[in-house]
Amino acid sequence: MKSNFLFYNPTGFFGLFKREVKRFMKVYIQTLLAPLLSNMLFLGVFGGMLKTRQVGIEGVDYLHFLVPGLSAMGAIFAGFQNPSFSIIVQKYSDTLKDLNSYPLSNFEKTLAFVLGGTVRGTLIGILTYIATIPFVGYSINNPLIFFGMLIVLSFIFSSLGVTVGLVLNNFEKMNFLLAIILTPLAYFGGVFFEVSQLPGILSKIIIANPLYPLINMVRFGYLGVHEGSIAIQSIFISIMSFITFFIAFLLLKKGVGLRN
Amino acid sequence: MLEIKNLSKTYKKGNVKALDNVSLSINEGEFVALLGQNGAGKSTLINILAGNVTKDNGTVIVGDYNLDKNELETKKILGIVPQEITFDFVFSVGEILKNQSLYFGIKENQKYIDELLATLSLSEKKDAKSRGLSGGMKRRLLIAKALVHRPKLLILDEPTAGVDIELRRSLYDFLNQLHQQGTTIILTTHYLEEAEKLCDRIIIINEGKIIADDSKNKLMDTLGNEAMVELNFDNKKELSDFHFLTSYSPVMKNSKTLQMKASKQNIADIFYRISSNKVKFSNFKIEPQKLEDVFLTLINDESNK
Ligand SMILES: Nc1ncnc2c1ncn2[C@@H]1O[C@H](COP(=O)(O)OP(=O)(O)O)[C@@H](O)[C@H]1O
Ligand SMILES: [Mg+2]
Repeated sequence: MKSNFLFYNPTGFFGLFKREVKRFMKVYIQTLLAPLLSNMLFLGVFGGMLKTRQVGIEGVDYLHFLVPGLSAMGAIFAGFQNPSFSIIVQKYSDTLKDLNSYPLSNFEKTLAFVLGGTVRGTLIGILTYIATIPFVGYSINNPLIFFGMLIVLSFIFSSLGVTVGLVLNNFEKMNFLLAIILTPLAYFGGVFFEVSQLPGILSKIIIANPLYPLINMVRFGYLGVHEGSIAIQSIFISIMSFITFFIAFLLLKKGVGLRN
Repeated sequence: MLEIKNLSKTYKKGNVKALDNVSLSINEGEFVALLGQNGAGKSTLINILAGNVTKDNGTVIVGDYNLDKNELETKKILGIVPQEITFDFVFSVGEILKNQSLYFGIKENQKYIDELLATLSLSEKKDAKSRGLSGGMKRRLLIAKALVHRPKLLILDEPTAGVDIELRRSLYDFLNQLHQQGTTIILTTHYLEEAEKLCDRIIIINEGKIIADDSKNKLMDTLGNEAMVELNFDNKKELSDFHFLTSYSPVMKNSKTLQMKASKQNIADIFYRISSNKVKFSNFKIEPQKLEDVFLTLINDESNK
C-alpha cells in the first residue's frame, strides 16, 4: 500500500478532519460540557477546600496552581478520547473500512483523526480556563506557551488515541486502559499538587511520569514558574509528539484494524 | 478498464482459499455479471479492489493504474457498492453524500448529489438520518454514495439481495441508464435472472475459480442448446397416448399438459410426430433453457471433476 505524497488530496483530508470535528460537536453535551463540568467540580472541591493554602511556588495560591493542571488534564483526556472513540464506534458500525476506499494518503488519514482530537482537547483546555476566570481572573503569564502547549498536549494524546482506536476493538478495553493507565498518570502527573512537595521517592517516581513535563509546561505558560529544566522538557515533548504521531501513522499504514 | 491476473487470496482465519489464481479482463463499456453461489469468492474479489482485503498474489490494474503502485489513483476510478449496508450514522443522508464527495476531492458537488437523490427517489430523505431509512432506501443511498465521484467502473456486490421486486426493477432501469451513459459495470449476484436481464457478459466463479467467462448468448448457446417443449390439450390425456414420443422421455405436467426436453434441432421432429399421429393440441410453448440450468450444469460438472 504505497502513497507517494504526504498531501495527496487536501480537500479530502480537510473533509475527513471536518467530519471528526463535526462528530463531537453534534454530541457536545457528552464531549464538551461533561468534561468541563467535571473539571469545575475538581476546582470547587479541591480549590474550595485548599484555596488559601500557599503552594511552594512563591506568591502562588493553590487555586491558581490548579487551573493549568485542570486545563491540561482536560486536554489530555479529550484529545485521547476523540479519535479512539470515533474509530472504535466506526468499527462497531463497520464503517471504518470505508477509509480504505478514499483516495487519501495514510498521512492525510492519520493527521485528520489526530487533528480532530487536537481540536477537541484544545477546546476543553481553553473552556476550562474560561470557566475559571470568575474565580481566579483571566491573567496568563505567557498565553502563547499556555495555549500552544494545550495544542501540543492534545496532539500527543490524540495520536495515542488513534493508535488505541486502531488496535482495540471494543469500549471495555479502551475504558480499562483509560482507568488503569491514563487516569493515574494524570492524577499523579502534577495536576493537583507540586511534585517537590512530595516525600523523596514518590517525587522521583512522578518525574518519570511522561505526563509530568507536559503538565508542567502548561503550568509554566499560565503561571510563568516551573519545575525542572524547560529545555529538556521541550525536547522531550517534541520527541513525544513525533513518536506518538509516527506510531499512529505506521499502524494505519499497515492497515491494523482496517484490512483483512 | 480492469485487468486481473493470477489473483489469489487465502484467509488466515479458517485457512480458506477464497480466490484461486483468478484472471479476468473487463473492457470499457461492458456490463458484466459475476455469478457465483454464496462463498464462491465474489466479495473477496471486490474487497481486494476496495482495499479492504490484501491479496496474496497477482496483479490488479484499474484503468491505467496498478493497484500496487498507484493505489490512490485506482480509488478515483472505482465506485464500489458493498454487500453489507453500513453508514456513518451520525450524519444525515445529505451530509453523508457531501462528506463522500469531499473525501474524493470534490468541493462543490451539490448539484450532482441532488440529481442522484432525485433519480434514486431519496430527495425527501435528504435531511433524515440514515438509521431511519427503510432497507430499500439504505441500499439506494449506498449506491448514491458509490456514485458521487462519477466512477468509470461501478461494482455492485449483490445490490438486490433482500430488495423487493419493484425496487429491483427501478434499480435495473437505473443501472441500464448508467451503462448507456458509458459507465462500465460489474454486478455480482446469485440471482441468475438478474444477470440474464442486464448483462452482456457473464463470468461464473465457483470455489474461488473462474469456471466460465463468455458473452451471455454464447454461454447459452454452447451449454444451453436444450429447450423445454410444452403442449396443452383440451381434454385429459395419459402418458401412453404419446408412445410415439418415448425417445424424448416426456412427462405429464398435469392431465392436460405434456412436457419434454429437446435440443433445438429436434423440435421440428416432435411436431412432425404429433401431427402424423393425428393428435390435436390446443396450445404449445417452447422455452429456451434458463441460465439457471446452465449454471447448475457447470457447477455440477466442476464438482464431478
Ligand atoms: N474475513 C474473512 N475471514 C475468513 N474467511 C472469510 C472472510 N471473508 C470471507 N471468507 C471466506 O471466504 C470464502 C469466500 O467468501 P466471499 O468472498 O464472501 O464469497 P461470496 O461473496 O461469493 O459469497 C468463503 O468461504 C468465506 O467463508
Ligand atoms: Mg458476497
